[in-house]
Amino acid sequence: MIKVENLTKNFGDTTAVENISFDIGESEIFGFLGPNGAGKTTTIRMLATLISPTSGDITVDGRDSRNNGEYIRSIIGILTESPGLYEKISAYENLDYYSSFYGIPAARRRENTEKYLKMFGLWDRKDDPAGTYSKGMKQKLALSRALIHEPKILFLDEPTAGLDPESAHMVRNFIDSLKEEKTTVFLCTHNLEEASNLSDRVCIIKRKIIRIATLSELQNSNKNKRVEIVFKDDAAKYTGLIEEINEIKDISADNNRMVLLIEKPEISNPLVIRKLTYNGAEIIYFNEIKASLEEIYLDLIKDEEAK
Amino acid sequence: MKKALIIFKKEIKEIIKTKSIWGPILLITIILSIGMPLGFILGSEPILEDEDTLNFITKVFGSVEDPLRVLIGFILKQLIVFLLIISAMVPSLIAPSSILMEKENNTLEPLLATPIKTSELLLGKTLTALIPAFAISTISFIILTVVVDITAFIKLGYAPLPTVEWVIVAFILSPVLSFIITMASVIVSSKSTDIKSAQGIGAVVIFPVYLIIGLQLAGLFLLNITFLLIGCMVLLVSCPFILKMAVKIFDRENILTRWKMKA
Repeated sequence: MIKVENLTKNFGDTTAVENISFDIGESEIFGFLGPNGAGKTTTIRMLATLISPTSGDITVDGRDSRNNGEYIRSIIGILTESPGLYEKISAYENLDYYSSFYGIPAARRRENTEKYLKMFGLWDRKDDPAGTYSKGMKQKLALSRALIHEPKILFLDEPTAGLDPESAHMVRNFIDSLKEEKTTVFLCTHNLEEASNLSDRVCIIKRKIIRIATLSELQNSNKNKRVEIVFKDDAAKYTGLIEEINEIKDISADNNRMVLLIEKPEISNPLVIRKLTYNGAEIIYFNEIKASLEEIYLDLIKDEEAK
Repeated sequence: MKKALIIFKKEIKEIIKTKSIWGPILLITIILSIGMPLGFILGSEPILEDEDTLNFITKVFGSVEDPLRVLIGFILKQLIVFLLIISAMVPSLIAPSSILMEKENNTLEPLLATPIKTSELLLGKTLTALIPAFAISTISFIILTVVVDITAFIKLGYAPLPTVEWVIVAFILSPVLSFIITMASVIVSSKSTDIKSAQGIGAVVIFPVYLIIGLQLAGLFLLNITFLLIGCMVLLVSCPFILKMAVKIFDRENILTRWKMKA
């Protein structure tokens, strides 16, 4: 659905995005992660044909972005970081205004406006000026605006920012349900738990692409693994038995629970188990703790900064 | 064109809800098209009793048979120019608000992400400033004509309006001036970050109108058909240049990356 090849964007002497390439398939949720100033917004703007690349190629729905801007903008929906609503006119008028640019027949516009306002719980206040809405309500209205023309591709920049936990949960479920509608979602978020729960693949960017992978690929390729051991008695008394093993980078013990940070599990784990059981430790559980996306992300960003 | 009209319709709805835009327009329109002509016509007879006024008339027009008729004619020439203030003021108030409000509310990016062409957006914004300016100045001209004619007829026994100068100003000079001020406001707004500063610069743009009023009052210059037609020609010739400049500045990428958006 989206194909990006060697994309670069310079603003004067500053390079915002450098030589990035990726493909996104139909109905894929693609998490796009990176620190502030990493080039996420610039990338979205280029994909949405709002700004042109300095070099490289973008193909959206099989069409080259340089000559098909109007078509591409007609099949995408965008939720910008700031809701950007007309505050003096009502929520209904806001949605009707934006939807009228897509050539949707009036009856269908009314139908969709009602559908999304009801879906996000805004129908009762549809006639109130958008300026009177709370931050969360504005975010939901902006999301409705991005969806009003039923786009094939949805660009979401921090979709749950400012939402209460219940609304955020509802929005996440909704994003997940878009797969069934065959909608491709380009998800920019700083909420890494959200990204890991929703995304089929994540792309970590800091001007250049650091990694593109599924969450399990990222977890498997992470060089530092964590192991949890639960003992029948106090865990602290066993730390001395295993701390000299080279592959163990860190040990922490709390009550009957011990957590090890290890580099090569295939070497360290058999040694740990042997030493502990030989010295009479009674082990209840021995588990690998999968690294969270946040841990992996922080490791990758740290490594990138160290380069 | 259809998308430009969608923008125009929404913008008008917003302007109606923004008292700070239509309030000054309404006040100045009432003052210039009703208050001032009434005051001038009703006050013209007592003014003639002043020797300085008679001397001024003799200096500008030579010796005349009916000084009152000449004075009324002179006052009407001033009023024509005063009405140009409306044609200049309305777009200088509306255009910056219409563009800068998009910047301040961060609504430009979602709008530009729709399948709208930049030219349609510019046309929509231009119509938003131009149509009210043309409508308000035409209504003002009509009101002023009616007020002047009724007052002059009751007081002096004749209806002095409309004149040829009047028609040139109302239907050529006034719309052309509104167009130029609108384009100048688009250019200024694209370089400004807040509405007040853009409107302040907009007020400077209408300075030539004040200059003509000042020169006339000083007796150094008197508007006639030739001057008005020359003025129209000059403004018409400059229209394509200022339009080209506005289109160049009002570029999609320029708007998104160089215009300073509110954080």
